[in-house]
Order: sequence, then C-alpha cells, then structure tokens
Amino acid sequence: MSASWHGVRTVAVLELRQRVRSTRWVVALVVWFVVVGAITALSWAAIHGLGGGPGVDGGLPEEVFTGPPIFGVVVFFVLFLGLLVSPTLSATSINGDRNAGTLATLQVTMLSPAQIAVGKLLAAWVAALAFLAVSVPFLVLALAAGGVPVVAVVVCLVVLALLLAVVCAIGLGFSALSPRTSGSAVLTFLSVAALTVLSPVVFALTVPAVTQDEPVRVWSVPLDYDWESGEPPECEWRTETMPVFHTERTWWLLAVNPFVILADAAPEARQAATVSDPLAAIRTAVRAARTGPATEQDWCTDTFGSFTSDGTPVAPAQSPVDVPEPDRSVVWPYGLAVELLLGAAGLAVAIRRLSIPQRRLARGTRVA
Amino acid sequence: MSITAGDRAPTPAPAVPPGIEVTGLHRSFGAVRALDGVDLVARTGAVTALVGPNGSGKTTLLLVLAGLLVPDGGRVRIAGHDPVTDGPAARARTGWMPDAFGTWDSLTAREVLLTFGAAYRLPREVAAARAAELLETVHLTEYADRPASVLSRGQKQRLGLARALVHRPEVLLLDEPASGLDPRSRVDLRVLLRDLAAAGTTVLVSSHVLAELDEMADDAVFLSGGRTVRPDRGDVPADGAREWRLRALSLTALTAWLDSVGARWRPDDGIGGDGPPGSGGVLLPVAGEESAARLLADAVRAGVPVAGLAPAAGALERAYLTLEEERR
Ligand SMILES: Nc1ncnc2c1ncn2[C@@H]1O[C@H](COP(=O)(O)OP(=O)(O)OP(=O)(O)O)[C@@H](O)[C@H]1O
Ligand SMILES: [Mg+2]
Repeated sequence: MSASWHGVRTVAVLELRQRVRSTRWVVALVVWFVVVGAITALSWAAIHGLGGGPGVDGGLPEEVFTGPPIFGVVVFFVLFLGLLVSPTLSATSINGDRNAGTLATLQVTMLSPAQIAVGKLLAAWVAALAFLAVSVPFLVLALAAGGVPVVAVVVCLVVLALLLAVVCAIGLGFSALSPRTSGSAVLTFLSVAALTVLSPVVFALTVPAVTQDEPVRVWSVPLDYDWESGEPPECEWRTETMPVFHTERTWWLLAVNPFVILADAAPEARQAATVSDPLAAIRTAVRAARTGPATEQDWCTDTFGSFTSDGTPVAPAQSPVDVPEPDRSVVWPYGLAVELLLGAAGLAVAIRRLSIPQRRLARGTRVA
Repeated sequence: MSITAGDRAPTPAPAVPPGIEVTGLHRSFGAVRALDGVDLVARTGAVTALVGPNGSGKTTLLLVLAGLLVPDGGRVRIAGHDPVTDGPAARARTGWMPDAFGTWDSLTAREVLLTFGAAYRLPREVAAARAAELLETVHLTEYADRPASVLSRGQKQRLGLARALVHRPEVLLLDEPASGLDPRSRVDLRVLLRDLAAAGTTVLVSSHVLAELDEMADDAVFLSGGRTVRPDRGDVPADGAREWRLRALSLTALTAWLDSVGARWRPDDGIGGDGPPGSGGVLLPVAGEESAARLLADAVRAGVPVAGLAPAAGALERAYLTLEEERR
C-alpha cells in the first residue's frame, strides 16, 4: 500500500511540478478569480436591483433572503467554468507525454500502470481543486447574503470536486486512447457537452415519444354549469382523454446532467417567497419529471374556489383530489453514480493502455 | 573483437549466465516484419555492439528487451527473467536509453534523476547521492539546477544516459548513445561503458559509428532486415590480429615481395586514396605493433618502395560492408 502510494505521489509530483512552474497556470487562476468575482458581483447587483436594493423603501422585504439566487448562480458558474477547464488538465497528459518521448521512460521503471494513471489523475484533480479553492470566497459571500445553510456550501463543493474528478478521469481515458492531443481534447469536450447539453435536449426530444392520450379523472366544473349565474359551481368527477407526459420513463436523461446533480444534491435553502432559487427550481422540476403525471387532476378548486363572479371571496370548495405530494426522493445519487462509473471507465482505459509490454500500437505511432 | 551471430555461442564459454539471451525473436508491425528471427547472446560483463542498417530492427529489438513491446514469437531472457511474463523483475534489472531523449518542460536535470530514483523506489537520500554522482559522471553538475529542456542535444543525451543508470542496472540497453556527442564525450562514454562492463554490467549498444564500437565492444551482433546475420567469416581476422593497409609506390613490386615471403594478403578495395600511377596498397593481418615494425623493416630491406603502413578500417566496418542485405 505505502509502496503504491509512493509511486502515485512520484507521478503526481512530477506532473504538478510541470504545471505549477509554468506562469500560464497562475494567469489561469487569476483569470478564474476575476471572472467568478465579476459574475458574483453582477448577480448580486441584479438581485438587489430588482426592488431598488435592500433596506431602501420599496425594496425587497426584510425576510426575503437574497443568498439562494446568488449562491445558485455562482455555483452553476463555477461548475460551468470547471467543466470547461478540467478537460484541458488531463486530456493531453498521456498522449502528450508519449509524443514528448517521456512516457516510455517512465513505463520501464518500477511504476505500475495503475500508479502512473492514478498519479496523473490525482495531479489533474488537484489542479482542478485549486480552481475550486479560488472560488470559495464567492460562495462564502453568497452565504453572507443569508438564506443559504453552511452545509449547502460544503455539499456543493464536495459534489463539484467529484464532478471535476470525473471529467479529469474521462479526459485521462481519452488521452490514453487517442494518439493525438488535439483528438483527445476534442473528445473530452464532446463528452462533457454530451452530458450537459445533450442530456436536456434528448430529454426534450423524447417527450413526444413518451406522450400518450390517456383517460384522466378530473374534478371539474359540470359541463352544464351556467357561467352567468354568479353561484360557485358544484364540481364533479369527470373522465377526460388527454395527452399525458410519462417523464418517469426518461427522467434519468436529466439525472446524468452535472448541473442537475449539483442542484439536486444541494440542501434546500430557507425558501424566500419572491426571489427564485435556480437550484430549487431545477430540483423541483427534475423530481416532478421523475414522479410522472398524476392520475387525478383538480381543475376546479384553483379556478373557481376563491372568488365569486362579483369578486367576493368564498371558502374554497372541498376538493376530493389529493394535493400532489412534492416528491422528496432524490435524483442525484443515480446521476452521480453514472458519472463516477464513466470516470472509473476512463481510469480503467488509461491503466489498460499504459500496461507494458504492448502488443498493439496505435497506427502511425512508435514507442520510441 | 569476436563476432557473434546466429546460433553461434560467444567465443569464451560463459561462466555466469548471459545478461541477455534472445532466441527466434519475431515482431511485426502490420505488414512490416521489424524482427524476423533474432538470436543473440550478450555476455555478462561485456559490451556487445548492435549493428545494422537503418530500419534493420535495432530499436525494435531494444524495445522488446526493455519490456515495452510484446514479441510475436521467440524467447527473451534479461538476467534470467522474461520481460513479458516477469516484467517488473526484468525491468528492475534493465537500464534503457532511447535514441531520442524526451524531457519534461520545467524539470531540472537533478529533478529528472531524483524522479527516476523515486520511480525505481530508491530511498530519498540514496537517490540524491546517486543523482549527484551521476551528474558528476556525465559532466552535468554545472547544469544540475537548470531546466533540462534547455540543455543542448549532447547534454540531453548525457542526461539520458545518467537517467538509465540511476538504479545501477545489471543490463544496459543503449540506443545510439553517441549520437550528438562531442569527441570528448564520446571518449568519456567509451570509458564509462568499459568501466561498467568491467564491473559486471551487460551492455548492449547500438550505433552507426563503427570505428567507435570497434574500440569499445567485445562482441558484435549484426542485424539486417530484422534478422541476425553472420558476416562473411573469411574477412574477419582471427582474434588479436587486426588488418593493416600497406601501400607502396609500385603495387607489383609489393605483391611480388609479399608472395615471395608467403604473406597472406588481399587487394585493397579502393578506399586507400590515390597516388602516382602504378602505386597501390594491400590489406594484410598484422598481430600488433611489433609485427608491424618488423614487416616494415623487412619490406624496406627487400627494396619495396613503401609509402605507408597503417591500421586499416575496423573489423566491424569491413564485416558490415560484406553484409549482403541492403539498406531499407
Ligand atoms: N510502430 C511501428 N509501426 C510500424 N512500423 C514500424 C514501427 N516501428 C518500427 N517499424 C518498422 O520496423 C522496421 C525497424 O525499425 P527500427 O526502428 O527498429 O529500425 P532501426 O534499426 O532502429 O533503424 P535506425 O538505424 O534508423 O534507427 C522499420 O522498417 C520501421 O519502419
Ligand atoms: Mg533506431
């Protein structure tokens, strides 16, 4: 165990030394800090600007927390940037070394393929974590705006770290597969794009496929109701045939999305009435998609329950339809499990491709 | 210098098992048969030269020996270990220097050696001492703390050699180590390899500079078209006798005298330079400088107009030129 850790550390230190010494690295961190800072400032200004600023007359009410929206925007932006940066950290680490003629000399040492692969992954991940660390001040700032539990910051950072590790591992796998560095970088970006963009697009495109005309029991106004009467209608049960979206068959398409995983895993903020929380919105939507359509619908209570035609409120008629229970079952473990499996596959590919002696070489490449 | 090839055993019967043993080695890359029947034995404590035209499979052979490529067929033993089935054990005993030394962008020469020390599981202090010692050996102490990527080609080559020696390998595989080295460094390399061999290391070194191999190698293996070949033995003098070139102003007088005294000679194949008409030279085996002095005195005494006597091109070069196979 200690021997194998020693080997992993040797490789990771080698990789990190390379990176830390290049000034581009420092520049990248500074740019990252400035960009995330700018986004935080913009979202802060935008949200407080909604009502003229807190504390000012006509501004947001005292009890409305502005933390959740700011936190949501910043955390999503950090994930977005992280997904852009992480592929470059690992996607050229194996084929780049191969092209530079340094890989084979490492492979003939006592380092095992697993040590080299894990060491390279660790180095890329540590670099990705450096970017996360630079973002922490802005998350804390969102915390200061109120409404966001401290545990949310911790959970989001952990999930972000895991997601970036997965991207690094996928990049590592492609860098072992593709002989050219440009090829592996493109493939890694494409797979990240597939997870983030393609997943909701495919989900939307499959909606017609999972839509069926089905009879649904609705609690509704009688068909012969006289709309001029001014009397509240006596609602009754009716069966209507209508298109029903069976998203409970396709919700997993959304679940593999890193943004969904992050939103769903984040602990619920103390909800403010008027300011929306992007994390909560996504969480609600994806959980609703997973629950699927209700078999009974209430078309009566909300429409007519509250007011008579002359505007006087009346007590809402008792509806026999169960108020749909908000689904509490979480989605993120499925998504995160899939992502981690993808990462593990990338790592496994890298280890396999680093094994020597090699039987087959990629076309047009030499070992040395 | 003895020439080993094919199934022929090395001349002095080995007391210790040979450092490298290869029989019937095959390896193809698609349709290209890079290795097509290689048999060789490299003795422990000897420097073996690996000679062959471009594309004859030298690098491929060294890659198989270093445990980087799986052979399609054949048997390989590195200090008694099979690099395919017993990779780590074989690799622990092997030092391999590729023909092109790649460097990491921002590591210093010393860090490169320390990293490889760690990769070979040397304790930190041992690795540090070894790195300092090796930098001294290859005369890079002055550059120890500069980035390795800015070293000159020859300096990189020397660093690559030091890198291959970090773990004191029993078997050393060098792929054209002398390319890019200045004359002084070549001499140093020769001395270093002789010292290593004297200390019991098996050295297999490929090179195109035959004169140099001539001076440092004990044995030679010829590769041609992926096969070990045995050069025409008739041209290779017996041990201890090198071929010398004897030139005279009158070739007829020279050959007549040589025939009269019964000397073994053969015509110079024309690499001798040009002299006045009628002049010419022959090649004949001479066992050492004393014999050469005696030969010269005898010839002068017999009235042969001798113009020069000098060692001819090395045994390796002549053996090489007799190879039938063409460059590819
Ligand atoms: N990875 C590869 N893919 C395809 N062909 C290869 C590969 N490696 C080597 N070859 C071919 O195998 C043959 C032997 O190559 P090798 O590099 O071993 O030659 P070499 O003896 O080292 O030549 P040189 O003296 O020029 O270094 C060549 O014809 C070469 O084109
Ligand atoms: Mg070669």
